[in-house]
Amino acid sequence: MENLIRFGEKFFDELEIAVYRSRDVSASVELNEISMASTRGGAVTVIRGINEGRLGLAIIDSDDPERIKEAIEQAAKMAKLNGRDEKWVSLPEPGAYKEAPKPNYGLKEASPDILVEKLVRGIKLAREKDPNAVVAGGEGGVSWEKRHVVNSHGVDVFQEGGAAFFFLELVGRKGDVVTPGIFDFDARRDLNLDVDGVVDRAVQRVRWAYNVEKSRNEEVPIILGPWAIAGLLSYTLLPAFSGERLVKETTPLAGKVGEKIASEVLTIYDDPFHPLSLEPTVADGEGVPTRKNVLIENGTFRGFVWDNYWAKVNGTESTGNGKRDLKSGGIGIDFHNVVIENGKRSLEDLIAEIDRGYFVDGFQGAHSSNPDNGNFAVTANPAFLIEDGEVKGASVFLVAGNVYELLNRASEITREQTVMPFMTTMTTPFIKFENVKIAGK
Amino acid sequence: MEALEKALRWADENLKADYIELRYEDLKKTTLGLKDGVFTSFTGKLHRGVAIRVLADGAWGFASTSDLSNLEEKIEEAYKLARAAAETKKEKIELAEIKPVEDFVKSKMRVKPGEVDIEEKVDHLRELENLLKEDKAVKSVQIRYEDGGGRKLLLTNEGTRIEWDYNYLYQGAYVTGKADGKLAMARDSIGSVDYGWELMMEREPNEKVKERLLRKMQGQLKGVAPKRGEFPIVAGPIVVGIIAHEALGHLAEADLTINSPFKDLIGKQIAPEYVTMSERYVDGGFGNDRYDDEGVPVRDIHIIENGTLKRIMLNREYAAKWGMEPNGHARAESYRYPPIIRMRNTVFEPGDHSFEELIEDIKFGYYVVDFRGGQAQLNSAFQVGVQEGYVIRNGEIAEPIRDTSITGVAIEALKKISGVGKDFGIEVGFCGKGQTAFVSSGGPHMKFDGGILIG
Repeated sequence: MENLIRFGEKFFDELEIAVYRSRDVSASVELNEISMASTRGGAVTVIRGINEGRLGLAIIDSDDPERIKEAIEQAAKMAKLNGRDEKWVSLPEPGAYKEAPKPNYGLKEASPDILVEKLVRGIKLAREKDPNAVVAGGEGGVSWEKRHVVNSHGVDVFQEGGAAFFFLELVGRKGDVVTPGIFDFDARRDLNLDVDGVVDRAVQRVRWAYNVEKSRNEEVPIILGPWAIAGLLSYTLLPAFSGERLVKETTPLAGKVGEKIASEVLTIYDDPFHPLSLEPTVADGEGVPTRKNVLIENGTFRGFVWDNYWAKVNGTESTGNGKRDLKSGGIGIDFHNVVIENGKRSLEDLIAEIDRGYFVDGFQGAHSSNPDNGNFAVTANPAFLIEDGEVKGASVFLVAGNVYELLNRASEITREQTVMPFMTTMTTPFIKFENVKIAGK
Repeated sequence: MEALEKALRWADENLKADYIELRYEDLKKTTLGLKDGVFTSFTGKLHRGVAIRVLADGAWGFASTSDLSNLEEKIEEAYKLARAAAETKKEKIELAEIKPVEDFVKSKMRVKPGEVDIEEKVDHLRELENLLKEDKAVKSVQIRYEDGGGRKLLLTNEGTRIEWDYNYLYQGAYVTGKADGKLAMARDSIGSVDYGWELMMEREPNEKVKERLLRKMQGQLKGVAPKRGEFPIVAGPIVVGIIAHEALGHLAEADLTINSPFKDLIGKQIAPEYVTMSERYVDGGFGNDRYDDEGVPVRDIHIIENGTLKRIMLNREYAAKWGMEPNGHARAESYRYPPIIRMRNTVFEPGDHSFEELIEDIKFGYYVVDFRGGQAQLNSAFQVGVQEGYVIRNGEIAEPIRDTSITGVAIEALKKISGVGKDFGIEVGFCGKGQTAFVSSGGPHMKFDGGILIG
């Protein structure tokens, strides 16, 4: 890599080379059967170079040094054509990195056979527990990635690691009722995927969904599950913590550091080293050391997150939240593992105390929310009516409101925490909110 | 390409596979991301690799690689994966028969984006940004432009040899505006696989894009919150399109149909007889193609024909399962993915009402024009965020509405369609189903007498 940096310095004032080598194996399910086993491998190299304030990027599907040189020349060509970015300061310098947790090398050469075996067992269990349920889809996968980021200021970070995931989608059919697709999954840094837990939880919700209950316009307590929380907060709340949005005045959190913005029961932080984190990374996409960044502490807003570029524009320091978009090659502000701190009691305890309310498994339409002000209008589906401390059946309703108003209504958080490895990886418990207005159907 | 032919020949002779498919791509792409005056991505990309799909003992194995040096080994790996998956299968996968095709698919583009100087692309994006920033309420502008072009090859052991001169371009623009302490966001997208740079210059010039974006943003800034509930709704082509795509189209993708209410509705009347919904070639359609990624010719189909649920979208595997003819809907995002059943251009067909006729009888209702994100469930329950909408009062379009969404169950809402406009429009976009696909959706203006909840 040293030679490639030297080569690149002929074209650029500053230069960064990031090589990603990955191997993914997976097996998928369609209609109660394994449909395909796959393997995917390869390398992607991203060049980010700056010459006289002009940025040039290139991406190539290879880690071959000759082809990387080709990409460097391509990036140089792009930089020449780009305009000067007056705000550009510099690429990051090396920092003090934490010691990386030892990767689980057992995942490196994982065979799809193990995944096939787990999926087949999951299908069998689900069908035994509920003969009316169809395992409509599912997948088990293991990914392993080696990341190497170097730059002309001496950043040189190599990291590797992997994670495994497993999910099933169940659809139940009983009489005229076709339940919505019910998903459940597990993701972790080893192969001890909780097949039984996934099946148990999904089958239970399918069973609830066989009974359809009408919802009505009312103000009730609702419990949001991890999938619903991750979906909603990814679009309404998390973008507001971006330092870029602070500079551009498009976050409603500007000037609110130290203010109470949520209920005291809520503590939210970004922590790549959390025990459940799928990617305990010591450096972000541009080689800046990562750390735990507290976003909300007992309801009080603690601060924004930054990448190298926007931190320097703002005269502050990067919080290690520069993440690379492998589609464009660029770095943007993002999170590693957003954690909502868990509480003491179980979901069961919370449900048992509700006279009338709902448990929301998933929201549809969260991505149509407005991150600029936190407004959202979403459909709760799958969702379940709770009466007299028990789940009575599936319901669908609309919730429209503002995420900050909602966060102030949070009253209790469960002990159970789940990793949601979607858009932004979130580790989240179930949260109960009081007096939420819903529009019934 | 000789290396591919050679590997395929070797595999055909040495492995006991039912079917072997190699899909090679060699594409050059350019991505430009302009964020408030700064190009945060200014990227040249070189994508080259092979997707290998093998059917053996009735199961699929798939391998994807960017390393072209040992293709035989990779094909064997996919074969072994198929065999491993096959051991668990009771129902063996079969493929519907097709006639192998040898063809070269020429690009219809007049000016391929790869032939346009990057300076011109940069100027074009900057011009759009400047035009948008002329409006003082605009706080932030983000434009993402991408184009790509190159060669795609499909080779199968059945004899199919298709080469595409494949090209596309896309632009997504986003504005955030602020007025009286209120923030609002609007988005716009254009793109094509058939029109080249002429799309940006002639069909969708910057002035036109600007006008649409600012109208949506201003509407949101000045908008009032709608009343929550069920009212008569007139939906414009873009919203009609998203309902066609999200709430109905996905149910008609054969792999999903099986678990959806559509399964038992094929051949049945599900909408008034003046309602027809198609998956077809559309001028400017982002999903247009001559063949799909299994080498099947793409055919136009009516999913709903005069109110009756008629056809579903198929690949070869599901065509065999359903005893139907494959119709060209197997699509893969890139060589990193196997093809799966996808939509292309999903549209409601025009009827005979003028826009005025659709709204004239509505005392109070809503006109929804454009959306921001939409999603649906397999029971056809949908949720669509509205980024441009208006109140209809006494048969006339009145004030704009803000931050809202519409929801409903499409199968129920279809029955409430009381008027179909004679106009037609589409919007291009991406569909995510584990992989991204270029799609279009659209139709005429349509009137729903209930069945859709707003708020």
